[in-house]
Amino acid sequence: MMSLPFLLFACGLGAAWLRQRGAAMGFWVAGLVTLLVLFRLHISDVLNIAL
Amino acid sequence: MSRLLNALGLIAVDTVLVLAFIDQLWFHDLPCPLCILQRAGFIAAGFGLALNLCFGPRPSHYGVVILGAAAGAAMAMRQVLLHIVPGTGSYGNPIFGLHLYTWAFIIFALMIVGTAILLLNDRQFGRPEPWSQRLSALPLTAFAIFAVVVVGNIISTLLLCGMGFCPDNPTEYLLFGATPA
Repeated sequence: MMSLPFLLFACGLGAAWLRQRGAAMGFWVAGLVTLLVLFRLHISDVLNIAL
Repeated sequence: MSRLLNALGLIAVDTVLVLAFIDQLWFHDLPCPLCILQRAGFIAAGFGLALNLCFGPRPSHYGVVILGAAAGAAMAMRQVLLHIVPGTGSYGNPIFGLHLYTWAFIIFALMIVGTAILLLNDRQFGRPEPWSQRLSALPLTAFAIFAVVVVGNIISTLLLCGMGFCPDNPTEYLLFGATPA
């Protein structure tokens, strides 16, 4: 699960190498969305920054 | 000139990710979930530089860098805030007095500023033809190292976390069942 963004970015790099710009951008967007979803799932704790 | 700066920027991102691997493998400082996400943030930002090397500079590629760096900075800031109150501990070993997540936030901020500076040069977007498909040595090296580091992160994260979520404070590789010597 946590390796999914890396996998999507790797696919994007492969697409860029093959001169498929649209596919590369698509993989990047998918990777970024996955990254943000994983980030949201990891911020369940409330920050303790009350002074 | 623009291509050289993009190649140097990608090499800087490569260096950060390689140093993270050295910290993990040499000093046995296993990355926490937020640390892994910050690595992915560096890759998301570096992706835009790689696109510039492959297809020539475009504003959208710089947008990729800025959005990736902004996402990574948010993750780094979250981890800084987790430990900002005295007595709330920290994660990992400090380097030059700052923890890796603090360095990560600084570098993400510098990436955003650096990208804004690169965007000031309008002449780079005036090329009528895309650059040659043949990458010269420096951009090719930067791209190749970047690709290797991305694949390395896939393997490392799979070994560390398996197919699910990573433990908050990892002490061993889940797929190995023990920390390597």
